[in-house]
Amino acid sequence: MSIQFGKVCSLILREHFGEIVGKVGTDLYKWGQKPLMSVVSSTKLSVEKVRQSLCILVQYGLATFSAGRSDRIAEYSLLPEKVFSLLRYPRYLYLIKTKFGVEAEMLMEEFLKAGFGSASRIIIRAATRLKEKKELEDASTNFPLLRDKFVSLVNKQYLMRCPAPEKTEDGKPSLIPKLTVAENQLYLPPTLNIKALTILDEGNPADAGDEGVYWRINFDRFHQDFRDQIMVTAISRRIDENGGEIIRLLLQLMYIRTEAWAQISNPIPFTELRDTLRKQDPQSPILQHLDQYLKVIEEDSSGFITRVGDSGGGQYCINMRKSFEALAWNCVENIIVERFGSKAARIFRLVKDRKFIEQEKIQQIAMIPAREAKQLTYRLLQENFLQIQELRKSMAQNAGPNKSFFLFHVDLEEVARMVLDFSYKALYNATTRRELESEENRRLIEKKNKVDSIAANMRLQGAAQEQLDEIEEMMAPAEVELFTKVMNRVQKLSEAELHLEQTIFLMQLFLNYSTK
Amino acid sequence: MATRVKQEPVSPTSRDVSSPPPGVNHNSQIVEREQRILNLLQKSTKAISDKEILLEIPDLSPQDRATIINNLLQKGFLDVFKQGEKLVYKFKEPSCPSKIKGADNEEKIVYSIIEKAGNKGIWTRDLRVECNLDQTTLNKILKKLESEKVIKAVKSVAAARKKVYMLYSLEPDSSVTGGAWYNDQDFEAEFVDVLNQQCYRFLHQKKEAVKNCKDGPIVAQNMASASSKDVWKYISELGISKVQLAVQDIETILNTLVYDGKAERSVLADGSLMYRAVESLLPPPGIVRTPCGVCPILKQCSDIGSINPNNCVYMTEWLE
Repeated sequence: MSIQFGKVCSLILREHFGEIVGKVGTDLYKWGQKPLMSVVSSTKLSVEKVRQSLCILVQYGLATFSAGRSDRIAEYSLLPEKVFSLLRYPRYLYLIKTKFGVEAEMLMEEFLKAGFGSASRIIIRAATRLKEKKELEDASTNFPLLRDKFVSLVNKQYLMRCPAPEKTEDGKPSLIPKLTVAENQLYLPPTLNIKALTILDEGNPADAGDEGVYWRINFDRFHQDFRDQIMVTAISRRIDENGGEIIRLLLQLMYIRTEAWAQISNPIPFTELRDTLRKQDPQSPILQHLDQYLKVIEEDSSGFITRVGDSGGGQYCINMRKSFEALAWNCVENIIVERFGSKAARIFRLVKDRKFIEQEKIQQIAMIPAREAKQLTYRLLQENFLQIQELRKSMAQNAGPNKSFFLFHVDLEEVARMVLDFSYKALYNATTRRELESEENRRLIEKKNKVDSIAANMRLQGAAQEQLDEIEEMMAPAEVELFTKVMNRVQKLSEAELHLEQTIFLMQLFLNYSTK
Repeated sequence: MATRVKQEPVSPTSRDVSSPPPGVNHNSQIVEREQRILNLLQKSTKAISDKEILLEIPDLSPQDRATIINNLLQKGFLDVFKQGEKLVYKFKEPSCPSKIKGADNEEKIVYSIIEKAGNKGIWTRDLRVECNLDQTTLNKILKKLESEKVIKAVKSVAAARKKVYMLYSLEPDSSVTGGAWYNDQDFEAEFVDVLNQQCYRFLHQKKEAVKNCKDGPIVAQNMASASSKDVWKYISELGISKVQLAVQDIETILNTLVYDGKAERSVLADGSLMYRAVESLLPPPGIVRTPCGVCPILKQCSDIGSINPNNCVYMTEWLE
């Protein structure tokens, strides 16, 4: 929670929902929990506008409300972590596309657009879009397929049921609705009437069998997948593909017996792992050396898994906290390599290894010339990657510098927070620059869009090639060139934002685990 | 140190009883007794007193004893200490006074202090404090000893201006010269870098060789590991180093590889170290692929002021 974080949040909100929502969101971020009227007074917007903005925020799950000090007035608060998930939309879609196919991606896109919705409405919309895309005659042919996809998304917990207002005892709705959902209903797939969907699609009223049941996206489930992906790739890099596969299986088995975000998984017996592997692929080359692989992964310095017992051929735990500590170290080290060079990274790792170390020792062990070593060490200190600890020989006030030791050390959590903060700043910079680039060339982009749409219309009307060429020529060659240049820049900046988001994700995960 | 033992008052009675008749064999007797006392001194670890000498040679006259002790003192075989009221003697390895022939006492003292410092040498300031001579005298003595090639001055790598003195015949300790990594007080960074690269190449080759190993990961890992001795052999055969490197030197280099995150170290049951090339867990993180991730002035950057994202030169350059 820093100023930089707040700035990024309001920028994201402004970009996705416009100026007014951005303003309301920023206000909520600054003040924490506050009621509607107080937002109105501090933002100086009309009540109606603020109300609409809050509505939008609540709809997309970016803000919540609860009764404040008085039972009659609801207080709203922003969920900044959720705001960040707006950036991850492309990643969510990509994940669903690779796992469940295009139809599921379409469903997910509808959810992302709407925030939440009933199964029937989302399916109908997705079907309509599919129809347009595939140029099918009838949308209804897709209904059974889409329904199945929807059910599997719910089963895999990518979608969850929205909490509904609790009914009060006297049957009247309370002033501030309390939203709840029963545990067993959270991931209970809906039963849908396909026939009714077809009728609804034609614009007639019908009961699809899911009246009043709304669904939304379970972002945590996606984050869990991203997290697993990071771990699997890390082990694949460190050991080999087979090692990565084993981690993937272990994670799968972990979810059966452990809560997904626990720091350490409950023990997983070796035999179970072997059986799962055998079931998956009886000819798997890993089977032969499974025990060896486990030993190698366990002995690796990253400490992803630990052996905890001998029953069942050995029991293994996945240590999430340790894994992400190792990954965070690695990430910070990589950043130092790129920013200050590999010699600086050597010093950083040395300090990490020795916990507390003096300047003289650093240059001796790192085998770097004294002058350079000093420069690099103090550079790292200045940029807050290293911390210094003074150790006095005497407690006297006027003891000179000769009377104390200066020891360097690393506080990873502090460094992680700092890295996170400058990631936010970089993200903010990339986004502002991207906005500037498109703002500066707005007229050009608008013109291009106009020309494109005219050309598309003409083509639909069956215009001759000559006419189309004529329209194309409305854009001067210089303009076309500039346009592609600007588009390239915007593209490059958006890519940078995606890259940044990954670093931020890793660091946030580490901090979540270490401060739990 | 070089004090003379005072002649003890000789009682007339003891003279009558124990003094040998003066004659030709008196001198040879003294030489023989001197040897006996010397043996006695050499055998005992503690200092011995007159009484013990008397036990060894009961018929030694105090006069002769004084002569013998004085002789031994002159030859530099023993030290005399005062214990309470008594005098005690202790054996001392004789410094070869022949090396500084014709030297006066001050020179001898300076010489002995420098000698004691061994191949680590002694810093001029420490020397001055220890010998308690004033600067000019000491400088004169040092200059003289140096010109006679009895001692030499060696520059220490720890501090460029620090000069240490040691005996001429000694080879300076590696803490003074800095070992293989120093050439005339200069740290040879390039040499270290080349060795670092070569060591990594060796480990990396080993790792690549077992990539398609079919015998399981442990075998593969063992085959990819190399002991520091293996690496040492490889480096010695390459012949990149003009100086003879020790296994320990190679270990220091290998440790820098570990701190570079390119290798991992493991200890075998017998205590020997094994090294193995490893791949880092993550590819370079996304942040360094953006200009801000490597920006030197990110801290100064903000919405207002001359450093801002909208007219950032680094970003413009990157976008081109």
